[in-house]
Amino acid sequence: MTGKMIVLWLIVGAPLAYGIWQTLVNVATLFM
Amino acid sequence: MSTLLDKSHTIAPPGYNRLLVPPAALAVHLSIGQAYAISTFNLPMTKLLGTGEDWTLLQIGLLFQVAIAFLGISAALFGPWVEAGGPRRTMFTAALCFSGGFFVSAFGVWVHQLWIVVLGYGVLGGCGLGLGYISPVSTLIKWFPDRPGMATGIAIMGFGGGALIAAPLSVALMAHFKTATSQGVIETMIVMGAVYLVYMMIGAFTVKIPAPDWRPAGWVPPAVPKKLVTTAHVDVDAAMRTPQFYLLWGVLCLNVTAGIGVLSQASPMIQEMFPGRVTAVTAGGFVGLLSLFNMVGRFFWASTSDYIGRRNTYMIFFALGVVLYMLVPTTGQIGSIPLFVIGFAIILSMYGGGFATIPAYLRDMFGTMQVGAIHGRLLTAWSVAGVAGPFLVNNIRQYQIDHGVAKADAYTVTMYIMAGLLVVGFICNYFISAVDTRHHFRKTATSLAE
Repeated sequence: MTGKMIVLWLIVGAPLAYGIWQTLVNVATLFM
Repeated sequence: MSTLLDKSHTIAPPGYNRLLVPPAALAVHLSIGQAYAISTFNLPMTKLLGTGEDWTLLQIGLLFQVAIAFLGISAALFGPWVEAGGPRRTMFTAALCFSGGFFVSAFGVWVHQLWIVVLGYGVLGGCGLGLGYISPVSTLIKWFPDRPGMATGIAIMGFGGGALIAAPLSVALMAHFKTATSQGVIETMIVMGAVYLVYMMIGAFTVKIPAPDWRPAGWVPPAVPKKLVTTAHVDVDAAMRTPQFYLLWGVLCLNVTAGIGVLSQASPMIQEMFPGRVTAVTAGGFVGLLSLFNMVGRFFWASTSDYIGRRNTYMIFFALGVVLYMLVPTTGQIGSIPLFVIGFAIILSMYGGGFATIPAYLRDMFGTMQVGAIHGRLLTAWSVAGVAGPFLVNNIRQYQIDHGVAKADAYTVTMYIMAGLLVVGFICNYFISAVDTRHHFRKTATSLAE
């Protein structure tokens, strides 16, 4: 059950982390 | 296949860990949240032919409007079907519609027929949006009776996060597929359709619903229900006959109208209010920041509503929203970009929070039995707001400029009108009370489980 939990949360968490990171890079232009 | 999708096959066994359910909901919402990033296709789609026969930005803008309209229509029409068939059948259908929309649109781009693109992404994809939006939310509400706000906040945060993923992804894919003779739009749509199909199917085939008599371990429903939180159930048709439904419709519509109007004009607004100080690139950063606050606000405010109550949460949205909208023109007059950015970041967090808190509000008013179907009907408010918000902001601004008002001041009246809308929303929310017991569902416990 724990393995399945980790896999499922990674499947949704990894793309979300990618999206947030890309947005933060974009937001950084506000402070440059 | 129909057996596999059947509601009875999605009932979780005893001891099932409910933390396995939010990823299934997120897989669907992170996908359909792409709708907020559809504008990344706008400019490339105006250059498909490279001649005067190309589509205009105004024409391509139809895609988003039709998709949001069909989100509301399909959610309202198919809500009872969603409740009857369970989340797996609904998510499966939503995946086929949403990804199918991309494939049909890719074909439409290939033959350069706008009506096919609109039919694909707007109508078919829009139906995928509507079905995919309500089903995970009502499922999570049933799994988290102790924290319904947090549960719906997780799912609807995914919808906000979907745009953060789709925007850079679609730009990168179009850059990858672009050639001297192609904008890479067709290939990008096909790849995204395939990726979303797989991703949403993962959600569909991992989702589970709790058994009818299931409760979280150690959780006992409060002996004395909180004020404005019902322990009864109201079916969708009865809910439509209550004043509470229409007051909540007004609450959602007015909150969204104000927020979506600003979101649609965020980039030109900051550039025009601070002329010469904000470039297009910096404005892009501002839009990104608003998207982040829109996403985080969904989880933050919905979770907060579990502690302070739904009505109080909306009271904050409307009261604080009025103050912030009234102050925005002043930030422009004193030339304070930080205050302007902070103000709108808070406004957009409450815009997202409004979306995320409304399902829990519905659950408080009408119970969990048909909350998905009722939520579906309420989402027509979003469709109305999706047209009204941008229309108001664009047209009032244009009217001001046409009558000699400087661009930097052209948003002042708009902001005051938005504040006025929020005052009306405050009044709607103020008058919400518990649903009259004559509307409560009166069948046996067995029929509730059906």
